[in-house]
Amino acid sequence: MSVAINGTNGITYNDGSLQPSAPVGKNLIINGDMMIDQRNAGASNTLVGTSTSHSTSAMMTDRWQLFLHGITNAQTYQQVTDAPAGFYHSLKITNNSTTQSVGAANALTPRQKIEGLNTAHLNWGTSDAQTITISFWVKASVTGTYPVSVGNSAFDRAYVSTYTVSSANTWEKKTVTIPGDTSGTWLTNSSLGINVMFSLDSGTNFDTTANEWVSGNKRSISSNVHFVANASATWQITGVQLEAGTTATPFENLQYGQQLALCQRYFQVIGGGKASAAIFGGDASSTSSVYTHIPLSGGSMRSSPTVTEEGSFNTFNISSRSFDYLNTMGISLRVSPSGAGRYYIELDSSDDKILLSSEL
Amino acid sequence: MKYKLMKTDSGKLNTIEQSFDDGSKKYIPKDEDNTDYQEYLEWVAESNTPEEADEA
Repeated sequence: MSVAINGTNGITYNDGSLQPSAPVGKNLIINGDMMIDQRNAGASNTLVGTSTSHSTSAMMTDRWQLFLHGITNAQTYQQVTDAPAGFYHSLKITNNSTTQSVGAANALTPRQKIEGLNTAHLNWGTSDAQTITISFWVKASVTGTYPVSVGNSAFDRAYVSTYTVSSANTWEKKTVTIPGDTSGTWLTNSSLGINVMFSLDSGTNFDTTANEWVSGNKRSISSNVHFVANASATWQITGVQLEAGTTATPFENLQYGQQLALCQRYFQVIGGGKASAAIFGGDASSTSSVYTHIPLSGGSMRSSPTVTEEGSFNTFNISSRSFDYLNTMGISLRVSPSGAGRYYIELDSSDDKILLSSEL
Repeated sequence: MKYKLMKTDSGKLNTIEQSFDDGSKKYIPKDEDNTDYQEYLEWVAESNTPEEADEA
């Protein structure tokens, strides 16, 4: 078999296929193709705006957070099946039908926070800091210049680059290359390593000069598009890849199960439908509380997870319930039986879920 | 929104219960890597006090 080394894109095999030469795991972005949507399963959701001095956020497709500060316009987000060739899903954000002129401290930022354990090899904050390249596909209703930036966990180091949407409502591939930061503190543990931000709108407090490392919480430039100033504006993204080096290599396609496993380090669901129905129960000798340990089938999480319930649940002989002993490998369901005898809690419909989050 | 400490049957304080006006709840582990616990610590640092745990 013959192969040809293509210095730009990888290796061309004798069947004509081009394969990336970088090792598996080159893409530091998880769910860059927006394939996994554990929370919403493709349903549309709206993040209600906030008053001018408050922040709110929501997780959209897995690992992708929408952050608002002082954005009064509600924003709708959804995993959709409109995507460029080679992809099946994208993430779509839609401004509501009114317009807003943002204040100096306001921000609308889709972002992914990459764990420090996954960015440690880039050596940022040292003289050996590696250059990175971010590539992605974008489709927007408003043409013009948009920022893409990276920052550290303390929000005191930032590099803002830009990309241009040339044609409205058309998929376009963009690439930016960012030199590694030789200064600042970049965490290399299970906390936030690199914050990758695709700011759609922000006030002047976040503006800086493009294409240079700066101190402070920056994510935009003064001449970029103001998304919320455009009624019903839309912005879609997919195929996001962040890799070491100066070249954007072909997107690293992972199988669904591989991608899901990466996402489950940060978010897992118990229940949520017949196919994944669950029941926890036993026999109580009195009304004294009883614990049931639930191992996490999605594997170890980044940190001990926060647990929330969704749905009405079906219970028998239970007066109250809560969750305790939360750790990276499992959680415990604590129930107080109404009396002696059999008790159970059943998650048997699609709206019955236990959600576990250890997002950054 | 309010926070309440939770005590296990053996008296351990592992978890904080966060309740919202709509009746929903979050169970937050005492893990400094957990962002909800970080927010709780900031809330306490602003001179707020959680409800005491019920006696087991």
